[in-house]
Amino acid sequence: MEALRVNNLYKNFGGVQAAHNISFSVAAGERLAIIGPNGAGKTTLFNLLNGQLSPSAGQVLFFGKDITHKTVFQRTHLGLARSFQITNLFLELTVLKNVLLALHGVERSRFQVFRPITFYDQHLDKAKDLLDLIDLWNKKDDRVQSISYGEQRKLEIALCLASKPKLILMDEPSNGLTNVESAEIACRIRDLGREVTVILVAHDMDLVFEVAERILVLHNGRIIAQGMPEEIQSDPRVREIYMGSNDMIVECLN
Amino acid sequence: MSVNYGETNILHRRQWILRIVPCSAVAIILLVLPAFLPFYLQNIMSKVIIFALFAMSLDIVMGYTGLISLGHAAFFGVGGYAAAILIKKCGITSFWIICPLAILITAASAAILGIIALRVSGIYFLLVTLALSLLLQNIANKWYSMTRGTDGILGIPSPDLGLSSLFSWSSTGLYYFILVIFVICSFLIFRIVNSPFGNALQGIRENEHRMEVLGYNTWLYKYLALIIGGSFAGVAGILFAHYNGIIAPFHLGITTSTLAMLMCIIGGLGTVWGPIIGSFIIILVEYFSSILVPERWPLVLGAVFVISVMTLRGGIAQQLLRLREKLFYGSIKG
Amino acid sequence: MELFILNLLNGISFGCILFLVGSGLSLTFGVMGVLNLAHGAIYVIGGYVGWTVAVKNGWNYWLAVLSGGFVAGLIGLILERGFFRYLHRRINEQVLLTFGIIYILTNLSLWIWGAAPKPPFIAPILSGSFHLVGDWSYSIARVAIIFIGIALAIGLWWLQEKTRIGAIIRAGMDDKEMTVGLGVNYELVATGVFCLGCFIAGASGVIGAYLFGLTHELGLEILLLALVVVIVGGTGSIQGALLGGVLIGLIISFGKALFPDLSMFLSYIAMLVILLVKPSGLLGRKTLR
Repeated sequence: MEALRVNNLYKNFGGVQAAHNISFSVAAGERLAIIGPNGAGKTTLFNLLNGQLSPSAGQVLFFGKDITHKTVFQRTHLGLARSFQITNLFLELTVLKNVLLALHGVERSRFQVFRPITFYDQHLDKAKDLLDLIDLWNKKDDRVQSISYGEQRKLEIALCLASKPKLILMDEPSNGLTNVESAEIACRIRDLGREVTVILVAHDMDLVFEVAERILVLHNGRIIAQGMPEEIQSDPRVREIYMGSNDMIVECLN
Repeated sequence: MSVNYGETNILHRRQWILRIVPCSAVAIILLVLPAFLPFYLQNIMSKVIIFALFAMSLDIVMGYTGLISLGHAAFFGVGGYAAAILIKKCGITSFWIICPLAILITAASAAILGIIALRVSGIYFLLVTLALSLLLQNIANKWYSMTRGTDGILGIPSPDLGLSSLFSWSSTGLYYFILVIFVICSFLIFRIVNSPFGNALQGIRENEHRMEVLGYNTWLYKYLALIIGGSFAGVAGILFAHYNGIIAPFHLGITTSTLAMLMCIIGGLGTVWGPIIGSFIIILVEYFSSILVPERWPLVLGAVFVISVMTLRGGIAQQLLRLREKLFYGSIKG
Repeated sequence: MELFILNLLNGISFGCILFLVGSGLSLTFGVMGVLNLAHGAIYVIGGYVGWTVAVKNGWNYWLAVLSGGFVAGLIGLILERGFFRYLHRRINEQVLLTFGIIYILTNLSLWIWGAAPKPPFIAPILSGSFHLVGDWSYSIARVAIIFIGIALAIGLWWLQEKTRIGAIIRAGMDDKEMTVGLGVNYELVATGVFCLGCFIAGASGVIGAYLFGLTHELGLEILLLALVVVIVGGTGSIQGALLGGVLIGLIISFGKALFPDLSMFLSYIAMLVILLVKPSGLLGRKTLR
């Protein structure tokens, strides 16, 4: 069963080709990592998959359904969720409210005008479960503004999980986190189980090799390699594009 | 906040007191006091209540959803004019028919204007709402046969409840009638803003993009917020028409819109009490200025605008909420 | 035919006044992102100051124009330094603040100059009319207004395109942080531009008094017209303000002749159409956020 299939995706901005003939597929339950130097077009690709950008050409199929022209919120209802590289939370609202908004987003109750939001016990219970998962239940009434950066990154992911996703697009989940925190994220991703497919964009090679079953390498908007982690590690083309840009990544590839 | 999540019994009682005391104080001021006031002060109280409702309706759009609109008085005016025209031109007198009809007309106008205005956002939304209200004001000025032009529609009677055999209107009676409608509307607004829908509006205000990613059709929410806010403004307009006896193009205009804006900002955007407090303050300042410095009321109002913009952060209601939180939790949480 | 030319010239001269007022608004809107709704009230105050100089005291007309502009510029300075620089990007605070300023300025002018409207006045050298075609004549002053409008347009264009200050303004419109980062004293330039915009508004208040006279309601009316002009023509663009001014001037002039009840209506429709179709205006250089 294919969770996602991308056919010949193009995206042009004026003269710049941010995405050039991108084609790949992801099996249900698979863990795919997308890597590439800065400016390779990773976030643009996510924006195309997620619906924030519409492609200049090409097709996106989600569990067999053509979602190329569906809006962002329609895709969420089909089971596509996304976390962001730069924290994209409701900073002035409480942690609990953030989670409740995410939970209601995929329920009919989101149009309810008369019952108070605290009426929905089952959602409050689910919120407790989600927040317990990331150890933030005791801070549920704190404004997101005031919790630590690492906790905010974890909340980012929790919001994704709240949308009952079949596929999560994770954009640099460990961005700015310590090694310990990154390892935690890796654990969480593993714990998600096979009902959830994960596509991960990351610079953190430790995380990538921990989690990924397959890797896609992007450069200048094109896929230049895809395969199992060991294949990518020894691929000369991959070394070439990273050479001189980030020695640490080159080291990791060794 | 519900009590099931960790608060102890001691806090529960404190919480209860801190809720009951301000509510009772307000209840006394609104319910009991007016019966003992002279009639001109009762009229002032009526005006406070009507504008409190108008400001609350703007708060739904501006405070909760974050849509800054310069044209909200358009709905206030449409409601008032609809009621006036139904009474004076169509000869319908029963309040029970006029009220729902006028609300429907206002909601329809919000539905039309909303589709136009929501094509843009930010400062352009502000300008489009301004242009639309100017357009409506212009129509009200020129369409003499319907609206009697710049003179406005005069001689609007008190509401006909079909009970004229039982009693006739006094300013006390009118005040309590308006208060009843206000309480009903406030209750509805309170439920709406605390519902999942209302919380979604706040989410859109805070981070519209993320709300979309979470599955919300944000355009639809903004549109519904405009219609709901517009409809409540229409109710205020209907009450105003009966209270004031006159409805004029001025009531559709930017001056009336900014008055409501000011009430919200002084009282506190995004709260239920804020606009009520704001209305209280502004109408009282207007009243006292008209007595003390009759020619200089606009100067005083202008000064209030300037001072409140430069000094108040989040409005008075926000400061009071912070105070209450401090007493609740011993520190400000959020 | 004569009627057509009459309306045409009326529309253009009217449009030039609108351009004068609108250019100031457009500059501040485009440069600082500040919507100064009090612009109309400043126009009126400038006009009244000019009236005091030229009519009440009987002094030189051009001195009156300059004094009107000067006082207006001073008010602008107070507004910018005292209030606007703290309200960068906070739209509803800007709206409320400037609305409050409108109330204050309008009431002050009512207090100082009284409620009776002041009739139109002009420099003696420009009064009267001259022969155009056949036995048909047109007022000299209106033609002078057209020339003043064009002169100002050229002057502002030269300032914006050919001087260092202009370059700073244009850079700041595109990317404010970068401009400041380059070590340019952008704040000083921005304040200067704002005061210039207010000066022009005040001066046009005196000149425009020939067409409209002076009343206290004029402030809001002029503001709304200036807004329409700036939106239609395009924010931050001098050519846009001129085009917008002339366009609106013509719409209203011909509108008054052909459909007297609809002239303002048509200009608001024009504003709406532009806002919905091309928000940056016909010749606009910057879309605000």
